[in-house]
Amino acid sequence: MSEPPEEPIRYIDSTVYLPYDYVAGDLKAIYLRALKDKRILGSKCSKTGKVFVTPIPASPESFAPCNELVEVADTGVMTTFCVVNIPVIGRDLELPYVASSVALDGADISIFALIRNVKPEEARMGMRVRAVWKPDGERTGSHEDILYFEPTGEPDVPVERFLHRL
Amino acid sequence: MSKLRNVAVVAYSQAPFVPCDVHHTSTEMLYPEIRKALAACGVEREAIDYQVAGSADYVDGRVFGFVAAVDVMGSWPPKQDLHLEMDAGFAAHYAWMRMQAGDCDTAMVCGYGKPGEGETNRVLNLQLDPYYQGAMGLDLASTAALQASAYMKRSGSTDRNLAEVAARNRAAGAKNPDALLKDVATADELMRTSWQVEPLRRGYLAPTGETAVCLLLAAEGKAEKMCRKPVWIQGVDQRAELQSLGARDLARSEGAALASAKALEMAGVKGAAEVDLLELSALTPAEEMILLDALGLPPLGNRGPVVNPSGGPLAGSAIMMNGLVRLGEVFRQLSGTAANSVKDARRAIAHAAQGHCLQQNLFWVLGSERRWS
Repeated sequence: MSEPPEEPIRYIDSTVYLPYDYVAGDLKAIYLRALKDKRILGSKCSKTGKVFVTPIPASPESFAPCNELVEVADTGVMTTFCVVNIPVIGRDLELPYVASSVALDGADISIFALIRNVKPEEARMGMRVRAVWKPDGERTGSHEDILYFEPTGEPDVPVERFLHRL
Repeated sequence: MSKLRNVAVVAYSQAPFVPCDVHHTSTEMLYPEIRKALAACGVEREAIDYQVAGSADYVDGRVFGFVAAVDVMGSWPPKQDLHLEMDAGFAAHYAWMRMQAGDCDTAMVCGYGKPGEGETNRVLNLQLDPYYQGAMGLDLASTAALQASAYMKRSGSTDRNLAEVAARNRAAGAKNPDALLKDVATADELMRTSWQVEPLRRGYLAPTGETAVCLLLAAEGKAEKMCRKPVWIQGVDQRAELQSLGARDLARSEGAALASAKALEMAGVKGAAEVDLLELSALTPAEEMILLDALGLPPLGNRGPVVNPSGGPLAGSAIMMNGLVRLGEVFRQLSGTAANSVKDARRAIAHAAQGHCLQQNLFWVLGSERRWS
C-alpha cells in the first residue's frame, strides 16, 4: 500500500480552457476604425496637452481626462531599438530584424514597431521612419493594417529633440 | 483590546451596474469612480497616500491586467501600491492595516472586473485544486448547492425558506439604484424557477454583472475634513478555511463565526444583534442563512438587524468586489446617503467572502462614533 507503483503517474493532464471576448471599448473602437482610413489617433490630456497613442481615457501622469481625440502623423522617429535574433512565438519574420520604439510626429509617447528595409547594423536612434500600410481595400481596422515602418531617408533627428519621448 | 488608530470610510462611488458594458474596459469603468470619490471629499489625487486594488486577472482574461488599473488610479509620481487577487473588500482590510502602521493617513481602495468578457464558471472552477475538485468540473453553483443541501439538512430549512430569503433581497434591491436587478420577485415566483443545481433554483442564484468601485479611507484628523459624516471602523477580522470542501463542515461556517466574534470584540460590541443592519456577501440564500447562523441571528433575516438593505449580491453579484460594495453600502447607510435607508442606523456589519462555500470571511463593524478615544 505504501510502496510507490512501479510505473508512477508523474503528471495529470489538466488543460485550462478559458475563452474571452475582449471588449475594445468606444475609445479603442474609434482608434481601430481610423486605421482603416490610414489615420492614427491619439488622446490629448486636458491638463498638459500631451498626446497618447494608442488613446487612453486618462493621463497616468496628470490624472486628468484625455477626452479629445487628435490625429497624429504616420511618420516619426526611432527613439530606441533592438535587433531580434531569435524567433518570437506568433511572428514568422526573417532573422535578424529591427524592433523599435517610434515616436510619431504629434505624439508624446512612442509605440512599438517593426522596422524593415534597413540593415540591422544601420539602424540608429534618431532615424526618421514612416508607416507602410496595407493596400486600400485590404485594411480591416486592426494593428495589422500597418505592415511595418521603414526609413524615410530624411536627416536624423538629434537625440535632445526626442529624449523626453523615449 | 489595545488602542488602535481610528480610521473611517469617507467616500464611496460605484459605476452603473450592468450585465455587460460593451463601451468600456474595466479600467475605463473605474476611472470616473475614482474622480467622483475624490470630488466627494473635495480633494485632489495628491491627498491620497496609499492605493490598493482587488481583482482577478482571470475574470476578464488580461494577464497582469491589474497594472492597467495603475494607469487610471493617478499613480504619478510613483505611489505605494498593492494589488490583491481577491475580492476588493479584502484590499480594504490591507489598507486599514497599512494605516495602522501609521505612515499613511489616507488610502484609495478600488475594485473592478468584467466577467461579461469571459466565462465566469470556468474561471471560478480554477479556485479549486486541479487534481480532484477542479477536475470534476465543479463550479460555483454546484459547490453552493452542496453547501445548501448540507445546511438545509442540518437546519430543516425548506425550498420556501430559500425563496423567501431571495425575495427579500430582491425587494430591497429594487429600491437600490446601484443594484443590477431592480425588479421585485415574490417567493412564489422564485419557487417556480427551474433548478440550476438542486436544491438551488435559478432564482436563488446571484446574477452576475459588471461595475467598478472606489472607496476612500482616512485616519482621524483627516477624515473629519474630508467627509461630513465619516463612518468609523470599530472592529475587523478575517479568517480563512481549508480549500478542500470535504475537509469542512459545509452546513456551518466556523470561519465566519470566529471572524465576526473577533471583529465584534474589537468593536466592544456584545453581539451581532446590537447592530442596526448587516451587508453580507452571500451568493445564495443558503450562504446568507449560514452567515446569519454564524452571527447568532435568526437565519431568515426577518427579525433583528436589517439584512442587506442594498439587496446584496442576490440583487447583483460583482465578482471580486462584492465585499467592497458591502462596505460602501454600509458607508452610505451610516452617512445618510443610502437609497433604501435604514432609519436611525448608527452601527452596522459589512462582510466580504472569497472562495467556494464561504472559504474565507472578513467582517467589519462600523459606526457613527469613533471606537478609540
